Amino acid sequence: MSDQPLFSLRNPWFGTSVGITAAIAVLSAIAGLIWLPLAQPNLKLAGVWDAICSAAGVPRAAVPEAGVKPDFKTSNVVMTSEMLTRVNQVSIGRGATLAQRCAICHGPQGVSDAHSPNLAGQFAAVTYKELNDFKTGARVSVVMSPFAAAMSDQDMKDVAAYYAYLPRVPSNSLDTGRPAPAVVVTGAPMRNIPPCGSCHGDIDNKAGSPWLGGQSAVYIKAQLEAFASGARRNDISQQMRNIARQMTAEEIDQVAHYYEAQP
Amino acid sequence: MATETDHGLGEAVAARIERRWATLSLVIVAFLVGMAAYIGIHQATMPQGRVETADPKTLHLSGEFIESNLGSEMQPDGSVTVRAIGQQYSFTPQCVVVPAETPITFRATSADVVHGFLIEGTNINTMLVPGYVTDLPVRFKAPGDHVMPCQEFCGIGHQGMWGKVKVVDKAAFRDMAAAKRRLTCVD
Repeated sequence: MSDQPLFSLRNPWFGTSVGITAAIAVLSAIAGLIWLPLAQPNLKLAGVWDAICSAAGVPRAAVPEAGVKPDFKTSNVVMTSEMLTRVNQVSIGRGATLAQRCAICHGPQGVSDAHSPNLAGQFAAVTYKELNDFKTGARVSVVMSPFAAAMSDQDMKDVAAYYAYLPRVPSNSLDTGRPAPAVVVTGAPMRNIPPCGSCHGDIDNKAGSPWLGGQSAVYIKAQLEAFASGARRNDISQQMRNIARQMTAEEIDQVAHYYEAQP
Repeated sequence: MATETDHGLGEAVAARIERRWATLSLVIVAFLVGMAAYIGIHQATMPQGRVETADPKTLHLSGEFIESNLGSEMQPDGSVTVRAIGQQYSFTPQCVVVPAETPITFRATSADVVHGFLIEGTNINTMLVPGYVTDLPVRFKAPGDHVMPCQEFCGIGHQGMWGKVKVVDKAAFRDMAAAKRRLTCVD
């Protein structure tokens, strides 16, 4: 008994236990890779091989073409959080020259009282995205669209880099003691309104969301109303329309005046 | 001689015990495999049948998750496909409208980080993982409103990420679908 080798086919215990283990593995594989996938009619499998590949998790690309095409221009900018974050002195220099034509509305230092956006210190990705959207027609403005139409991709990057390089200047309505409205601090979760600062830079920055401190209240209000009504829809996948739509007129007013008073 | 008999008896007992334990463990293995198969088939857990990929950075440029293609689509066979995306910090469409008593397929993905996809009052609870498409067959029993909070921490504005699901009567949905190809209940 003791001199009989343990791992040998002549040992009936060894043969039986290996056989049963192998049988369980084969049966489970057939059940998991073939039988169960084929038992799901909604998977619309092409055959046994397709079932095995699906169950084993072989990735495939999702449907490449959309059924319903948009009847308006949407933004074609691919936003990433690294976008235009590297400072490039040559780009800033070129941008400074190009930005002279912007000064009449946006101010020689990127700040003005004309109710146009103050661009000094704005995230470069934001300025670049908006210029691109004006150029493609995803965002429309009688003033900006013709300017952007003539700009090359590099021009837009340079102007964006230049304005990002300029220091932020507080507006004339600076009032840091002004209490923050509830919608800025906590949002309104049940209405799908997160705190403004979770994207706009005061707490965290979502790529493509502008810095709002010191912007004209008139401008902020007009843009929130345009997002809410759907007049402006260059926000990728409705990220801002979803929020503006849920805000009350009073909240829009509070937010606009609060951010104007911030540095 | 006596010792040899004792030895043979001991061997027989050991073999019997060995066989019983082996049978018991086989029954346990068979039960576990059977249980996994049963809850999979009866949708108690909803293992996804396929792995499909979608680039989170370019969802808005082409493919089935572009803005105009999101929402509920009535299929020729009477079932409904709902396409949605999760992003920091909202679901698009913000309000999903679906018919009751109808097979529905949710197809959703994330445009940035991992989001949760949970519909209150149902056993629908999965994740939206950037890069992958979540495909979920479901069925709603009765008309009613449900909330759809993101249940996976997705960033500092996570608590503000709430969608809505409106389950309407089958006939009412059919009327809506006749007028528009992609339906939402966003006001």
